[in-house]
Amino acid sequence: MITNTALKHVILSSVVLFSCTVNAQIKGLLQLRAVQGDNVLSWQEGGVGLYRHDEKNDSLILSQGILDAHIDLATNWSAHGVLNINQDPDIGVGFTQAYFTYQPLTSHHYKWQVRIGGFYPLMSLENPDIGWTSPYNYTNSAINSWIGEELRTVGAELTIKRPGRYFNSPHSFSLIAASFKGNDPAGTLLSWRGFALHDRQTTFNEGVKFAPVAALNNDALRWQANQVLPFEEVDGRFGYYIGMHWDYLKKSQLRIYYYDNNGDPTKLNISSGQYAWDTRFTSAAWLYKFNKKTRLITQILNGKTSMGRYWFLNNAFYSHFIMLSHKEGNNRVSLRYDYFKVDDNDNTTFDPNASHGEGLTASWRYNISKALQVGTEISGLKSTAQNRADIGFNKDISQQQILANIQWKF
Amino acid sequence: MSKFFVFFITAVISWQATGVTITVKNANNKPLANAVVWLTPIGSQNAPSKSDALYSMGQKNREFTPHVLVVPQNAKVEFPNDDSIMHHVYSFSKAKTFELKLYKEQPKAPLLFEQTGVVELGCNIHDWMIGYIVVVDSTLFAITDENGHVELAALPAEYKLNVWHSGFNDISNVESQTVKVSQAPLSYKIKQPIREKIDFATDEFDDY
Repeated sequence: MITNTALKHVILSSVVLFSCTVNAQIKGLLQLRAVQGDNVLSWQEGGVGLYRHDEKNDSLILSQGILDAHIDLATNWSAHGVLNINQDPDIGVGFTQAYFTYQPLTSHHYKWQVRIGGFYPLMSLENPDIGWTSPYNYTNSAINSWIGEELRTVGAELTIKRPGRYFNSPHSFSLIAASFKGNDPAGTLLSWRGFALHDRQTTFNEGVKFAPVAALNNDALRWQANQVLPFEEVDGRFGYYIGMHWDYLKKSQLRIYYYDNNGDPTKLNISSGQYAWDTRFTSAAWLYKFNKKTRLITQILNGKTSMGRYWFLNNAFYSHFIMLSHKEGNNRVSLRYDYFKVDDNDNTTFDPNASHGEGLTASWRYNISKALQVGTEISGLKSTAQNRADIGFNKDISQQQILANIQWKF
Repeated sequence: MSKFFVFFITAVISWQATGVTITVKNANNKPLANAVVWLTPIGSQNAPSKSDALYSMGQKNREFTPHVLVVPQNAKVEFPNDDSIMHHVYSFSKAKTFELKLYKEQPKAPLLFEQTGVVELGCNIHDWMIGYIVVVDSTLFAITDENGHVELAALPAEYKLNVWHSGFNDISNVESQTVKVSQAPLSYKIKQPIREKIDFATDEFDDY
């Protein structure tokens, strides 16, 4: 609740200040998608499928509807809000980011900035486009699919930069530290569904459903709702993350983060059915430009999450991806391999959380003009999840998905 | 007499059309490109008067274009943003301190550069961006080409030859020497080492 109230204040303040200023830049992205999915019901619909779509999405859907506003409030202050309109699983509108930035103009060679509000930690090098979308594949990697659905900072982040050009050096460094409230249920999806592959970001006012996991019928888990409200505050404690960016001429970009939501695994919000999960992980992402046209992006995520007294549920998660992207004229082709797994390290036998899988995603995007782009994507994955057997599914599934997209940026 | 006068005028005009060629070399005697060269007449204290000429320091593909702009004192400079994102251009240099938030759709009024000196530009959002405006007390100025050459339409006289390069360790350290301009080409050798320009391999996805 604290989280929601704080966010409302940020959003309302932005709207009030926006009406008083003219220095604003509003951008948008509309993306329509035709899908050929398979017959495994998507996680969005309460199924065990790991893609965003299934064969029910046989008509055009609005896959991205984004309004991105940047508002100058004063020399050093700006406000930034990203509003997302979604059609699936239900029609909804909400913010995925809403924050203030304080970036003082200083003659000092070290620069610093503060972000306050609700935002993404900048762990991903896959999602630099408007509204945290990817200009490479349509379907995000397993790592950034999870970050997009369960991870968000509602708090304050300090960045101290050592830009290379002020020191006549090709190397630039940034150190990042943040403290936040909320985000206590992060890890729930990894435990009861596992990693997934999609581009559906969760807005601050949303929950994410998962399949009717059999373990939730056990008396010990009777309070858990059949959805996660990933950004909720449950335990009253602050979480934190620290990070480091190292750029070499912008040709090589490395980002390393350690995140700990500092969740109190013994705490539960009975009314919303949300547990606090103690989720901590390390993320390392690297981008390398071979030349102006071809680049490699890779990321590794390694962490643990636990819930309940005495590690009642205790899982470790790991994922990596490697992507090659090549731009030739107005064409961009991107190919990515994902590997992901969750290890069940507790003795709670009625709730098996282990899962693993891998996937290949190939995308082609063509810019008709600066504003208009078409593209297609073919992807396939195979995955295994132990808890599928208890609800009548095969533990092992293979899936394929074909997407055709048209998008308009304004 | 009138024939001689016509000949004299023609000679002056043709001389002015070609002007004096100056070659700038680095400490290793190699031609130095992108050096700013200007001549100030010895004994003249008059700053260039205000003119309507408008100079431009743009931002395109997250770089200042041009990297170095040389303008006469009292020149007006506009800062058009050709990118679809905002730039927050600033200078803390003594010759001109300012900051401008620049959007493509909302151009700002040109700024007047009244003081001579080197103005170092940065962008508070894209911290790899760097550019220079060199404000000189002369209208005889140019930037050397790949062969280290400039041509200046100076009349024969004594001048102070001034040379500046963005690779100077101390960018306020302009090199000067008195020269006698005639029809003969001039050459100038830089006394200090020149740092290599650092080129950042940026693109539209590096804002994030």
